[in-house]
Amino acid sequence: MRFNEKELVCLSRQPSEMAAELGMRGPKKGDVVKRRLVKLVVNFLFYFRIDEEEPIGALLLEQCRVEREDSQTFSIAFLDEAERKYLFECDSEEQCKEWTDSIIKASYEFMRRNLIFYRTEIHRLTGKDPLEQYGISDETRFQVNSGSQLMARDTSSL
Amino acid sequence: MLSGELKRSFFMERRRKLKTFPPSHHHGQGLYIADSCVSLLGFLIIQKFKEERQKQMRWVNKDSTGRRRMKLNERSVAHYATCDSPPDKTGFLFKKGERNTAYHRRWFVLKGNMLFYFEERDSREPIGVIVLEGCTVELCESVEEFAFAIKFDCAKARVYKLAAENQAAMESWVKALSRASFDYMRLVVKELERQLEEIQDAAGAGGQQARPKPSRRNQVARSRSGASSSSSSSSSLSSSSSAPSMAAVYSAQKMLQDEVQLISGSSRENGVAWSKPPSATANGSAEAAPSCVTWDGCTDAGTVSGCAGDGGRAPPVPPRRLGASLESPVSPDTACFSKLHDWYGREVEELRVQWLQSQ
Repeated sequence: MRFNEKELVCLSRQPSEMAAELGMRGPKKGDVVKRRLVKLVVNFLFYFRIDEEEPIGALLLEQCRVEREDSQTFSIAFLDEAERKYLFECDSEEQCKEWTDSIIKASYEFMRRNLIFYRTEIHRLTGKDPLEQYGISDETRFQVNSGSQLMARDTSSL
Repeated sequence: MLSGELKRSFFMERRRKLKTFPPSHHHGQGLYIADSCVSLLGFLIIQKFKEERQKQMRWVNKDSTGRRRMKLNERSVAHYATCDSPPDKTGFLFKKGERNTAYHRRWFVLKGNMLFYFEERDSREPIGVIVLEGCTVELCESVEEFAFAIKFDCAKARVYKLAAENQAAMESWVKALSRASFDYMRLVVKELERQLEEIQDAAGAGGQQARPKPSRRNQVARSRSGASSSSSSSSSLSSSSSAPSMAAVYSAQKMLQDEVQLISGSSRENGVAWSKPPSATANGSAEAAPSCVTWDGCTDAGTVSGCAGDGGRAPPVPPRRLGASLESPVSPDTACFSKLHDWYGREVEELRVQWLQSQ
């Protein structure tokens, strides 16, 4: 599958609140723990060799499951391949918790649910749709009933 | 790798032949034809080698300069494209090729900040994806009608040229794509979060129970302050149970709570409902469940579930009242309004206490 690699590499250079050296182990049998610079940018988790400018790779954090393996280790697994886990070793329990919390919140779908909640709450409390002023109240992505769009594959453009 | 050497020896051979056989007229023609055939053959062979080499490079994840390609969890990304989660927009668009400058008709699926494109509408896997972060979407001058472009901010970035099938589709796509970035979503969420906090601060702390209509809450506030208001009489209170509107609210909440999958202490997911059975069912749980799918299915925009944000942000749904603990002292036909609103005020207060205690 093709993807716009250059732009992703560029994205990996954006400033990020969550960036740290962690021990990382790939999901394949025989993979070993290696020290990597792990950086969270939007809904991507980039990982670099220490002191290298360009990332080795990226993980898109949608449809994934973050799990605490032990006090200082967490794992990320994707729903389509639940047995394959990426393992991350932190330096402290606190750091581990920070990372798991951040990664959970780093998905687009998670944000969307937040937005819908706030929108509905504000509407309930004030009677006004807060998105109207931005002219985006019709946008599909902000709809409360987006669940009903499971049939959306039939939606043609418009 | 054979290609380099074989190429070289092939050309060396050809050159040698040309040097040592200066063509006479008769021989010249023959050699000319032979040479053309040989050229064509050579060309085809070289093309084949190029293809094979490119395939090899892709396999070892190297681009044409030998640089190793960045890894991506491609299988899972492709799965995201085709999984059940509802797309934000789909439709046919023409996409200009990278090397081949013709426009190809592709089926596009926009999910979050990922724009996937498929060869056909029913293809099982996307051909590719465009990550929509740090980009702008503009209309562009093009031979192709209804064309627009996705441009990125970074150096040597590629411009993706797309074209819709009509004006309306083009406008719709441009609008959707320019708002697709994670950053944009984050901005909007932060803004709404701020607005909500403002409203909550203004209304005073606590009292986060859901009410189906905003006016209801105003009534509560007014009745607490003791002001009698004729609008309160619009709520019909029966003697046997709590106000029907409240009952409706709580039963809706119970329905949502039952369907909410509680995240166990050790794992969290941000995807759609995990098949593993929950270790505990939600009921007035203090922890807001991030993955409550049914929130989207709720048709009544007025009912609320506490499934968003972390526990500190979105207060959880208050626990369901099991039966009315407070019998209303009055029936709907009582004329004593002050008793009515006293009773109502007490009920609200009791619920508040119950909820706070469950925290």
